[in-house]
Amino acid sequence: METWIQRLFLSAALLTLTGISSGVYAQDETASEDDELEQIIAPDIKRRTIKEDDLDSENFEAGIFFGLLSIEDFGTNPVIGITFAYHITEDFFVEAAYGTSETEKTSYELLSGGVELLTDDERDLAYYNISLGYNFLPGQIYFSDKLTFNTNFYVMAGAGNTDFAAKDYFTTNFGAGLRVYGTDWLALDLSMRAHSFKHELFGESKSITNLESRLGLSLFF
Amino acid sequence: MIASQQGADRWLQQIAMTLLLLVPLSPVQAQWFGSDWFAEKEPLQVSVDDAFINVYSGPGRGYPIFYVVEREEVITLLNSRTEWIKIKTRRGLVGWIKRDDMQFTLALDGSKPEFPDSTQADYLVDRFEMGAAYGDFAGADSLNLNLGYRFTKNLSAELRYAENTGQFSDSQIIAGGILFQPFPEWRVSPFFGMGGGTIKTFPSSTLVQTEDREDSILQASLGAYAHLTGRLFLRVEYTNHYILTSRNTNEEVNEWKLGFNVFF
Repeated sequence: METWIQRLFLSAALLTLTGISSGVYAQDETASEDDELEQIIAPDIKRRTIKEDDLDSENFEAGIFFGLLSIEDFGTNPVIGITFAYHITEDFFVEAAYGTSETEKTSYELLSGGVELLTDDERDLAYYNISLGYNFLPGQIYFSDKLTFNTNFYVMAGAGNTDFAAKDYFTTNFGAGLRVYGTDWLALDLSMRAHSFKHELFGESKSITNLESRLGLSLFF
Repeated sequence: MIASQQGADRWLQQIAMTLLLLVPLSPVQAQWFGSDWFAEKEPLQVSVDDAFINVYSGPGRGYPIFYVVEREEVITLLNSRTEWIKIKTRRGLVGWIKRDDMQFTLALDGSKPEFPDSTQADYLVDRFEMGAAYGDFAGADSLNLNLGYRFTKNLSAELRYAENTGQFSDSQIIAGGILFQPFPEWRVSPFFGMGGGTIKTFPSSTLVQTEDREDSILQASLGAYAHLTGRLFLRVEYTNHYILTSRNTNEEVNEWKLGFNVFF
């Protein structure tokens, strides 16, 4: 009850100060300089309603990453890619990623001398995936006595395709990472991914899991 | 030597491509697409209309509360992320408050700021939707993307793209369709849809019949949207694909799909 009355008085006071009718408001610009009381109490009050749409929302995230992708039998190689994410709630986000890498010769190809299992083009690997992520363990890193950075961990799982050896492979992925926010709109991402798919390049069907460790930089907008 | 140089060139190309893709996404550019170019925006200010509002150090409930803004204190709203709003106090302190706490503030003219709770009903008309789903396409793993637009609360049109990767062949489907939702207000709301497009099939090179094919496809689907939270919906769908082949018999494939859709 008390707060209700206070609110009523506060609203009434604010309304009075800004000038109740628009006619008064029109004259306010010139009159306010003479009105001492108004200058003291509320010098910069403007008539303005606030809508959520006026506020800039920053729920999208675009990023670039570099890292190492280890492909079973085909060596560990640099990987580069881009990510695009949408943060649905503070907990959940969806992320689309695209990455490319190049694989090496297998040990068998190296030892046997002339045998080539794949052509040069077939050694290129590209993947894309869509994942659902969950943020947890929010925290802060105290860098110096003046500088702290917000952080959070995340886990994610998703699916996509890997284009390798002239064929598409349905690939499931899961991963985890640490996001360090340099500012509210710039984040450093230190993370691991595991990409699993099944191939028959050596005659038999074989399930492989490729580990990727990477460092990314992303912008929120 | 030449081979490695070509490799390096390709790397540079890839880096350049990636950077190019990123350029239009920087926050400065994103603001440019707004109506007022270069114009300094008027600060959005509200005053606190409750005993106090907690200020968090980050946009999440796990971050510590490091400050409180008290009754009648004027705060400037900077931007928002998910359910959090970044604010600046008169003394220049920057922190985050819960979006729900906007109900305890007043605009400087005494009016209530308009921060309506988003409900399922907000996503029924004039909305774009984007979604991804996983499906089982006759034994092949199928990855589906859809982009839709809802004209009326019952009717929406959508574009569908699917990549199916199977043991014996891969295929791609590009299709368009119309969805009809008789009861859009229901939390779990059924829909049915019809569509058509093309399917490209790439048989594995190890098989005898290795010719790539392109056929027309007709789709009929039955499914449901389930509202999860905010703009996120779960979508379950059963689709009957009818492939009009150039051979003597047509093919029929039934597919189960499970995915999520986000409305904008």
